[in-house]
Amino acid sequence: MKKRMTVLFSLIVSTALLAGCAGGNGGKAKSAVGPQNELIYATAKDINDMNPHLYPGSMPAQGMVYESLVENTKEGIKPLLAESWDISPDGKVYTFHLRKGVTFHDGEPFNAEAVKMNIDAVQRNASKHSWIKLSTHIVSTKAIDEHTFELVLSEPYYPALVELSMTRPYVFISPKNFINGETKDGVTGYNGTGPYKLTEHKTDQYAVFEANVNYWGGAPKLKKITSKVLPAGETTLLALRKGEVNFAFTDDRGADSIDVEAMNQLQASGEYQVIRSEPMNTKMIVANSGNTESPVHERAVREAIWYSVDRETISQQIFSGTESVADTLFSKNVNYADVELKQRGYDLEKAERLLDEAGWIQETEGGIRTKDGSPLALKLYYDVNASSQKSQGELIQNTLKNIGVQLDLVGEESSSIANRRSTGEYDLLFNQTWGLAYDPQSTVSAFTSEASYYHTTSGIAQKDELYQKIDQVMVSTDEETRKSLYADILTIVHDEAVFIPITNGSITVVGPVNLQGVSFKQTQFELPFEQMYFETK
Amino acid sequence: MVTYIVKRILLSVPLLLVISFLTFGLNHLSPLDPVEVVLHAQGVPKITEELIAETKASLGLNRPFAVRYFDWLAACLQLDFGNSYVTGKPVWSLLGPAFLNTLKLTLVSVIAIIVFSIVLGVLCALREGKALDKSVRGISFFLTSMPSYWLAALMIWYFSVKLDLLPTSGMDSAQSYILPVAVLVISYAGIYFRIVRSSMLSNLNEDYVLYARACGLPEGKITARILRNSMQVAVSVFCMAVPIILGSTVVVENVFAWPGLGTLTVNSILSRDFPMIQAYVLVLAVAFVLFNTLSDLINAALNPKLRREP
Amino acid sequence: MNLYKNIRNDKLAALSFSVILVIVAAGLFAPLFAPHDPNEVQMELRYASPSWGYLLGNDHLGRCILSRLIYGIRPSVLWVFVALVISVVLGGGLGLIAGYFRGKTDAVIMRICDVMLSFPGYVMSLAVIGILGAGLTNVLIAFVLMKWAWFARVIRTSVLQYAESDYIKFSKALGFGNFRIIVKQLLPVSLPDIAVTSSSAFGAMILQISGFSFLGLGIEAPHAEWGMMLNEAREVMFTRPELMLAPGLAIVVIVTAVNFLSDGLQVALDPKLIVSKPKLQRQEIPSAVERKGEEVA
Repeated sequence: MKKRMTVLFSLIVSTALLAGCAGGNGGKAKSAVGPQNELIYATAKDINDMNPHLYPGSMPAQGMVYESLVENTKEGIKPLLAESWDISPDGKVYTFHLRKGVTFHDGEPFNAEAVKMNIDAVQRNASKHSWIKLSTHIVSTKAIDEHTFELVLSEPYYPALVELSMTRPYVFISPKNFINGETKDGVTGYNGTGPYKLTEHKTDQYAVFEANVNYWGGAPKLKKITSKVLPAGETTLLALRKGEVNFAFTDDRGADSIDVEAMNQLQASGEYQVIRSEPMNTKMIVANSGNTESPVHERAVREAIWYSVDRETISQQIFSGTESVADTLFSKNVNYADVELKQRGYDLEKAERLLDEAGWIQETEGGIRTKDGSPLALKLYYDVNASSQKSQGELIQNTLKNIGVQLDLVGEESSSIANRRSTGEYDLLFNQTWGLAYDPQSTVSAFTSEASYYHTTSGIAQKDELYQKIDQVMVSTDEETRKSLYADILTIVHDEAVFIPITNGSITVVGPVNLQGVSFKQTQFELPFEQMYFETK
Repeated sequence: MVTYIVKRILLSVPLLLVISFLTFGLNHLSPLDPVEVVLHAQGVPKITEELIAETKASLGLNRPFAVRYFDWLAACLQLDFGNSYVTGKPVWSLLGPAFLNTLKLTLVSVIAIIVFSIVLGVLCALREGKALDKSVRGISFFLTSMPSYWLAALMIWYFSVKLDLLPTSGMDSAQSYILPVAVLVISYAGIYFRIVRSSMLSNLNEDYVLYARACGLPEGKITARILRNSMQVAVSVFCMAVPIILGSTVVVENVFAWPGLGTLTVNSILSRDFPMIQAYVLVLAVAFVLFNTLSDLINAALNPKLRREP
Repeated sequence: MNLYKNIRNDKLAALSFSVILVIVAAGLFAPLFAPHDPNEVQMELRYASPSWGYLLGNDHLGRCILSRLIYGIRPSVLWVFVALVISVVLGGGLGLIAGYFRGKTDAVIMRICDVMLSFPGYVMSLAVIGILGAGLTNVLIAFVLMKWAWFARVIRTSVLQYAESDYIKFSKALGFGNFRIIVKQLLPVSLPDIAVTSSSAFGAMILQISGFSFLGLGIEAPHAEWGMMLNEAREVMFTRPELMLAPGLAIVVIVTAVNFLSDGLQVALDPKLIVSKPKLQRQEIPSAVERKGEEVA
């Protein structure tokens, strides 16, 4: 018996020692610099289906492989696969003069016929693309000659070029990869015209992109980019420190794989640099006004939630000051968004008053408010891969509990959250605006799209007026009308409190210190990898 | 022997059928309507009555239950488990490679567990009650009490970060196996070691050992004989270790980012991807039954007396 | 009583038992023991180091880790215990019935058990959670669903040897009702087996529930649970490894205590084992084999 006790005792001591080690400093970072000319980036999700005419694929990966006709830059629309274009005086006919000597990765020539095939294939799957309003305006496509392509619209549509510049769906894949002339049921390969080609893909493990040496813009300097699937958080941080990966960035769902503190630690190690873009989007909670059975159908409840979000604490504590407080859906620097809107800060008394007035009564101290016997209980969905969303959710949950609102947090995969957004199976969910290239026009037109924010906006009082104005603004040609229409639209959704803004998010890149040429596009969904290179010491 | 094998295999067929039936029925136990689940999972914006009827027909859900079951079973036998609700890809195209990865991890771990538990079990049995026996038993008790994901985190921290010896995660090289296998061995070897030990002990006290000693047989030969007899219990238990560990690597895979079944299943559960869950349960239950049968067969081969019992 | 004496003589088992008692008491009377409200968010104390006010420091929302640890006993240990009791009652009852009545009843119950036991335990729980959705209640339901069959089988086996014994026959002859015989005579003799089997299952279940919470399939926020706390600590596993310690050690302590107690019980209830007689050593096999399927890996 004594021996058993001794054994037990020694075990406890040894665990304590082990534990003591674990409590020590965080270990030393090894040289992060992997093989030169190679980037290995960490991602929480597989690149998935790289078909550029569908939506499951990873946008940063698609952005490397495929290209659009034009590019959206800070200075406006610039040529990409089209060298120039003409727009007819009535605004309906677009003639693109295509870049010559461009080939797809499989050697097929990029020409007007290929452009027509691709755009036609997208159009034949219109229901999937209803969020992009251009798809409802295209009347015909025509290859005029080898390098001239004509696009005819049903009516003038001002964001046409902007929408053609997006990462998908109006990008081009080799005609040889079509199956029976279609892309909607899958493709046989992923040959685009972009600076990188996909050479290897192991689902849920990694994908390898190699430089396209025949790229029309010159072979990119980084010869190889690998996308490695790693769970977000500490695993990624560790992999970065050990040099198993050497790059990480905010993904297309707005989730950072490591938190701010970890980034600062990496930067302090001297091996890595952290680069942040200017604010690109607004992170927000979206309320389902369209679900008449949910309490958030009521404007007062939505407003009360708005008043219960302590944005200052979220910005300072959860994001360590890297993301600024957002009070409106779009920040003032977004086009047409400089509109005077009612300020709603963190004000719990106000929130309580709103709920009381709306008939949500707290019977007992610390209890859940009820109205007509049903409790004020809501579900907030967050992305399981985004730890900051969970923390924010928990903070808001705690605040709401104090004013008698029960908030349940449900963590799900991002794809299933996207599905909820379109099916309307939610009370509240975390989301973000689509970024500089898409705001406001695409985000606003998505208000009416059933695949996006239809359920969010469909339950508000001025629904018809809102939808009408959105239709008008998209076809308006006069700048002043557009301005006033946008002002009305943004005022309506602001007053209805269906999009509850939290912070302004940006893209963050963590890369080796000697990596140069890191820049950002107007879209938050892709990075210009082809411009990056390693500084040789 | 052949009759026994045939008999034993035939016996597992009804069990497999019941399992497949239960797995098929799982979908129907869910509080949600399968048609709506499919539509939601595909992100269909507006669900109308017509759409439900249409999807019901296209999924074949309007046919009688029995017909659907047999169709499904026939398809499953060809590894066609339908398409994932979320990604739309065939289930097996996702599950197959993941299954293979988990199987690799499992087999390596089981082999390591067998080696460790036999060596330790035999050593401890031969020195029953001595310090070695007691301390190994105590330690094994303690180690099996640790949550394996916690152990995994500590090991990553120590071996990958502190000592910088091994990769932290993934399945890139042979080195990637070391930590996950070590965690599984630590969590499981304790249990199997105890089985080997007690099986050895019970044989040590059998009359034939006494007799052999009395006849003056060399000690090595006696030990070999005991080992052989003890292994009969152990072999069947070890056989079952394969499907059990196959089904329990979930947490370890999660910590080490192993691209296996565990990661896939947790994600499927979170997004309520029923065909994936169904296929996972079916594949593992079948593996369980097959290994069970296999262990019976091995036992029968080692011990002819057993063959008489059905 | 003998059992009590045996346990008292086994110092390790006695120590384990007192550890378990203390933990259970702390969980039952959590509001008395916990210094703070476990769900009180104080962002200004985010990741604060241990202090006199907060002995184990604060988590990512500035909540008191010690209080969460104490409240975490409820789902991590007490609720698991409830699930265990339910499955023991259910499985034990069916096992007693099967073993006592034999014949068709026995055959039916045992075939159902065979089917249940042909799903590996972990897979079965995952399947149930997959169907019902994540959450503590569903994990507990899954536990009951998969454990009862095991208890039924073990208890049936232990009852079988007594069901044919003379004193049962005698009772029958005296005209005692079946129910009375089962409760008064069979139940007491199968109690040792029930105690040993369920105590060894208990440790495994504690490990499992924490494993499910760790995977995000168990308890929902903001409730405290040890596995959940580890899941949260995992976010900062390498930057603040100390957060992994408290909940991890809590699990190790309770499971080790339960396992040692189970071992002690086995010895105490079956004094012949102490002498280490050959055949009886086999008794150890079923309990060990059983545990293998339930361990969280």
